[in-house]
Amino acid sequence: MFIYYGDKTVKLNPMELYNLLPKTNCRLCEPKTCMAFATKLTLGDISPEDCPPLLEAGFEKNLQKLREMVAPMLSAEATGIKLDETKCTGCNNCVVVCPVDVAAEPSTSEGKAAMSKDTVFRVENGISKIINLEKCRRFPPDRLNCRVCEQYCCTDAIEIW
Amino acid sequence: MEDIVCNGCSLLCDDVSAEVSGKTVNSLGLCKLGHAHLEAAVKHKIGSKDKDLEKAAEILASSERLLLYGWAHATNEAIEEGLKLASTLKGHFASSVQMGSMKAMSHSIHSKGLDIDLDYVRNNGEFIIYWGADPSESLHRHPSRFAVLPRGEKIPEGIESRTIGVVDVRPTETMKMANHRLILPAGSDAKLLDLINSEIEGKSSIKEKVLGIPGSELVGFVRGFQKSDCTVIFYGSGIINSGNQEAILSGIENLVEVLRSTGKEAYALPMFVQPNTMGVINASTKGKHQATSFERLTSGEFDTILVVSDDALANLPGPVAKALAKTQIVYVGPPGGLTDKRAVVSIHTMDTIIAGTGTMTRVDMKDIQFKKWAATKDNDTIVDVLQKLKEHVSKKKP
Repeated sequence: MFIYYGDKTVKLNPMELYNLLPKTNCRLCEPKTCMAFATKLTLGDISPEDCPPLLEAGFEKNLQKLREMVAPMLSAEATGIKLDETKCTGCNNCVVVCPVDVAAEPSTSEGKAAMSKDTVFRVENGISKIINLEKCRRFPPDRLNCRVCEQYCCTDAIEIW
Repeated sequence: MEDIVCNGCSLLCDDVSAEVSGKTVNSLGLCKLGHAHLEAAVKHKIGSKDKDLEKAAEILASSERLLLYGWAHATNEAIEEGLKLASTLKGHFASSVQMGSMKAMSHSIHSKGLDIDLDYVRNNGEFIIYWGADPSESLHRHPSRFAVLPRGEKIPEGIESRTIGVVDVRPTETMKMANHRLILPAGSDAKLLDLINSEIEGKSSIKEKVLGIPGSELVGFVRGFQKSDCTVIFYGSGIINSGNQEAILSGIENLVEVLRSTGKEAYALPMFVQPNTMGVINASTKGKHQATSFERLTSGEFDTILVVSDDALANLPGPVAKALAKTQIVYVGPPGGLTDKRAVVSIHTMDTIIAGTGTMTRVDMKDIQFKKWAATKDNDTIVDVLQKLKEHVSKKKP
């Protein structure tokens, strides 16, 4: 999971978030386990306040640290792309519609598969991979609200926030 | 990475590459189906064939009523060899293309010249309709390579220069890309087609909800046909499952003709899944096939069946497969599947994606040449086996 934070791209690691959770698997939250909670936190699907034990005394520092770590996802400038490989069929839709891919490898505009290492998306071993996230137009310098890959991903494997 | 041609489905993608390193297979551009197909093909182990060839030739030569069946996964060259072998053995050459739903799919669209090159669709197709077809499930790259997303000569903005319609009996993933999403009650396709034809010809006027579709939505769909200079309808197995396939296909033919009569370009293309269905249809339309039916297969008419590159026992309807399973089967093709297991003799060959030789015919009748690559080994193709079988049986049955 990558997020844009200030002038750099940051990778959120579920294990780092997990280590700050109570790790009791108390089942009071919707994901039920602390590891599943950490994963959802990484994806921005849930917030630290959704963990009831974390709001109890003794976890103030952990809560604060978690809030800081996920803060970029809540800010107006934050952006990220989730590509769920289990849903991806390798249809190449994202490769062909991505304006950056078309500029980097013009034959993709005619429906051809991406072969170079210069595109944002490339289908490898039957599944689309984001190989150059920093080239995405949502990131500086463009900072455009481009969502074409998400819009034309028929299986909803791509999700942008 | 080397350029290869994929035979995982009827799109026969020729813009993809792959490499094999030990047990690892890497690919670029192949969809999930294509990559899984390549991985399976790489693992096939092909042993020595001499004894099996001798035994198979013995069985085929002694057969009095031989059926040569399959072919939709074989190359055009293998189909030619199969026809020669059928002639030598006075056997009956057949495929699933002549039977049941496939017979309807391959019906008169091609013989009437209603189809078109997929590259032409990419360059000119303005109104694209998937009717009873969901490429997101079976032909993953169809929208991105040819019909929906790519830019073309008269389609400078790709999907933004096209209008997309999807007609189905259920919500499908392909509908996510569509401007018009029509969900019909099962079996009502022909009625909708008649209605569209009448509306375009000015013989009726849609005002109210029809077949559960709001009138305004339907009027918008019909306007799509009227506005488009080039309409292409891709019809899939959904129309076959609706029960009145002949009426629906005739309705599609009529729609294409009605649009053409107004001075517009219009075409219809099937969405077959098996890679060389069109190769078999070509052989069929050139009069190289004899008529077959499920009844003939179940009646016990044939004492021996040579199945070539098709898992017939898995793909045919249950009663037909059960009847075939009681018959003596000789199998030629890549290893694996029920038919291979049930066969008295199996002669294994490399999958065409590995063999890298020969041609298959894409859904738009364009021949695609396979490419040799590092994984290719010589003399393990279906053509080789059929030629050797012909030599063996010629000695036994001069």
